[in-house]
Amino acid sequence: MREDIIGIKNEAISRILDADSTDTLEELRINYLGRNGKVNSLLTVLKNLLPDEKKEIGILINETKNTIENTIENKLSDLKETKARQPFDYSIPGKKKNLGTIHLISKTIEEITNIFERIGFTRMRYPEVEWDYFAFGSLNFPQKHPARDEWETFFIDEKPNPKYGAMLLTPHTSSGQVREMWRVKTPPVRMVNIAKCYRRQSDISHYPMFHQFEGLVIDEGINITHLKGTLDYFAKSFYGPDVKTRIRPYHFQFTEPSFEVDFSCTVCKGAGCKLCKAGWLEVGGSGMVHPNVLKEGGIDPQKYTGYAFGWGVERVLMMKPNLNIPDLRQLYSTDLRYLRQF
Amino acid sequence: MDILISDNWLREFLITKATPKQIEKYISLCGPSIEKVEKIGSDFVYHVEITTNRIDTVGIYGFARECAAILPRFGISAKLKKQNTKKPQTVGNKLPFTIINKEKLVYRAMGVVLSDIKNRQTPEWMKKRLEVSGLRSLNALVDVTNYIMLELGQPSHAFDYDKIKNAKFVIRESSKGEKVTSFDGKTYSLPGGDIVFDDGDGEIIDLPGIIGTKNSVVDGNTKRIFFFIDNNDPVRIRNTSMTLGIRTVAAMINEKGVDPMLSEDALLRGIELYKNICKVKVDSKIYDEYLVKPKVTKIDLVDEFINKRLGIAIAKDDITKYLTSLGFGCLWKGNRLSVTVPSFRLNDVKIPEDIVEEVARIYGYHNLPSNLMEGKIPDPLFKSGLPFEWKIKNILKALGGNEMFTLSLVSDKLTDNKSSLELKNPLGSDTKYLRNNLKNSLLEAVQSNKGQYDNIFLYELSNVYIPKKDELPEEKLTLGMVFDGYRYTSVKGIIETFLSKELKIEFEIEMESNYKIFNINAGKAILGYFEIMDDGKIVIELYVPELLSLEKDYISFDPISKHPPQIEDLTITQKAGFLYKDIVAKILKSDKRVNRIEYVGKYKDNITLKIYYLDENKTLEDGEIEEIRKKILKSL
Repeated sequence: MREDIIGIKNEAISRILDADSTDTLEELRINYLGRNGKVNSLLTVLKNLLPDEKKEIGILINETKNTIENTIENKLSDLKETKARQPFDYSIPGKKKNLGTIHLISKTIEEITNIFERIGFTRMRYPEVEWDYFAFGSLNFPQKHPARDEWETFFIDEKPNPKYGAMLLTPHTSSGQVREMWRVKTPPVRMVNIAKCYRRQSDISHYPMFHQFEGLVIDEGINITHLKGTLDYFAKSFYGPDVKTRIRPYHFQFTEPSFEVDFSCTVCKGAGCKLCKAGWLEVGGSGMVHPNVLKEGGIDPQKYTGYAFGWGVERVLMMKPNLNIPDLRQLYSTDLRYLRQF
Repeated sequence: MDILISDNWLREFLITKATPKQIEKYISLCGPSIEKVEKIGSDFVYHVEITTNRIDTVGIYGFARECAAILPRFGISAKLKKQNTKKPQTVGNKLPFTIINKEKLVYRAMGVVLSDIKNRQTPEWMKKRLEVSGLRSLNALVDVTNYIMLELGQPSHAFDYDKIKNAKFVIRESSKGEKVTSFDGKTYSLPGGDIVFDDGDGEIIDLPGIIGTKNSVVDGNTKRIFFFIDNNDPVRIRNTSMTLGIRTVAAMINEKGVDPMLSEDALLRGIELYKNICKVKVDSKIYDEYLVKPKVTKIDLVDEFINKRLGIAIAKDDITKYLTSLGFGCLWKGNRLSVTVPSFRLNDVKIPEDIVEEVARIYGYHNLPSNLMEGKIPDPLFKSGLPFEWKIKNILKALGGNEMFTLSLVSDKLTDNKSSLELKNPLGSDTKYLRNNLKNSLLEAVQSNKGQYDNIFLYELSNVYIPKKDELPEEKLTLGMVFDGYRYTSVKGIIETFLSKELKIEFEIEMESNYKIFNINAGKAILGYFEIMDDGKIVIELYVPELLSLEKDYISFDPISKHPPQIEDLTITQKAGFLYKDIVAKILKSDKRVNRIEYVGKYKDNITLKIYYLDENKTLEDGEIEEIRKKILKSL
């Protein structure tokens, strides 16, 4: 009996203290102190007890009743006071869901893919481990070109292929050009090849492994204005409508003419700042596909012309304003403190 | 190659009113890229990037020629002041010199003996120009050679005539291991096949085109010099220079192929400067061994060829104007154009597309319009597996995984060197192999975060490389996940959600070895595996092509029963050797009306299961349930 009473008391107190509104308190009052409440129902058992017990238990029930009443009173005034002070603190931090992250490089690849797919490009991925023929030979590189030597390209310690030459890690996505021409056979070709590339260098703006995206368009009547239009479309889609683009003379073996592509600086908006050269940022290379490359791809250079460009995914990513990644190698960090920020 | 060009020096050959700022801006748009212009004293210095094909612009004179062609397109008049150096009149004692060049290793070699040196002091104006251009002034004998290199883009060398004991160069290939000591006292062991000058007695007295040697270079006691210019095979120069790590300006120019016609201009200019500054006497005839002469190139094309590639029409007169300003010769017959390429552009301009480039850049790429392509779209039905990768990443993000990219090149600690491709020329031993697994890289990544987090879930989607005999390796796209601080059931829940719920792939897990490695299979296909490491980390590798071939966008719709199921919890004692999956299989088999089983919990050997009883035709009654329950217990 005693335990039951104490149990009811404790239960009542804890529920009263947990109550968050006056309505709940009123419910609790009826529940415990009402005519058919839990305390009154205790009184009905009193009559079966011995006189001594009856007195003792009677006092205990009374005490319980008083305690519950007081607790309700106190809580009621507490609630009123709280309500007057701060009805609802909306600034309390929310409970965060434990979502993970998709890496910035992946997000950028997806964004680039979507931009080019909208204008009819097909996304491809060609081998990272390649034969010399696809990385250099078919791209009009002379046998002794510097890019082909061991200071710039990683070579694999395997037997060379009698037809395609040495096995290497492709230093650029351009190695997909002739493969794509072979796949499509007859133009039109509109490809964006996004893949890992490798070069023998590591510093603040280079990591031995990086990603490139290669655009290749071949059709009848393709000219420089189409390349310019595509660069413009990409830059404005990727950085916003205010960005300007320009091409300047450059030199690549597999394009003729060749161009260096600049976008107006996304930070100073072309005014000139520490990050850019007189308001412009170098993005990468481009050019009109060299007739020898078309020939290697089995495409008649008399009938078709094309353009190509190949830029670093990390490069265009790091040019996004206010991203503030000071060192490209940071993108390849495994530190969760970085990864979680993506 | 990055060079510095003095504005003051440039204007010796370029007559223009263009400001340095204008030159920086306009030349960058149509010619070599000027990275910046800097004011130094009363002079300005242009930081210029010269591409490998335009070594003709590495000298002040060649650069001025570009400026003279480009600036008028921006409405600024500019004229090139032609070099006009005359052959020296006075030839003194006719000192002898012999050049033996049997194998034609050197394309052109020119030299002259100059004696009676009266001054070795470099004049201030020359010192200043050298320094502004990034070279240190030493003495007039050496400085003149550097000065003409900067001015004309032709490296040259001054030998001490009296140190060349037989007055003879025997040009030959080096043998592997031969030693040379450069003028600055460093000794090199030659790789072999390098072009060297031998004195006729077997001693190497020069590493031509790259660096002078100590035993033949001019010094304070030099009385007579052999002033010398050579035009070499650029490929050999690059090989020797790169292998030995001697990256002199001369080597960087020579490896790009200098116009052999320039040798003569440079020699004459050098003689002129030596006469003016050192007051020398020309003491020999001019030796000229010109063995390999480039062919005159003519390129034929029609104007439409140019216009088609530019996307606009350019008048024939303008084409002529642009090309002649760059030194090309133009001859029109109707719409046919025959272009003669100047000697200094022979390495670069070979096909009609090269002419397109010259016309287009002088016209100005910035003056061309921008248009998107018209025409057919390539096969719009082409289906690629690539979008699947994005789907995978989104699911894993929702499940709490953090994506990372790690280097495919690893040490033999992270990949088995017997079944991995090895690099011939790695950057270091820790990046020597192409990995054949993601597991070890994932574990290393977790290790790098040690102590930072209570639990960690990283994933990577990358190729691993499986060597194949005489073929390119298989690039196997693999999804790797690693967990630390996760319970087994949490990881398994992530695999289940990922594979069954999201990709709709039904799979089984089978133990491969000793409660550590478990295969993840779907029918006969092996999707991958997971491994529980001794320290509790769990690693998973899944093969993306297999996932792609099995994944579904949706499954057949399951109608909701009209009758509610009856649900009860049953606690079953697990017998030794029976796994949870065995018990579930038996219960499901015991009666068709067992509709679904859920796992509630486990205490010691007692497993509690929530059983759903359902008959599609009616609501089950207590008696029927009791009957099924008996069947269940009997089956176990």
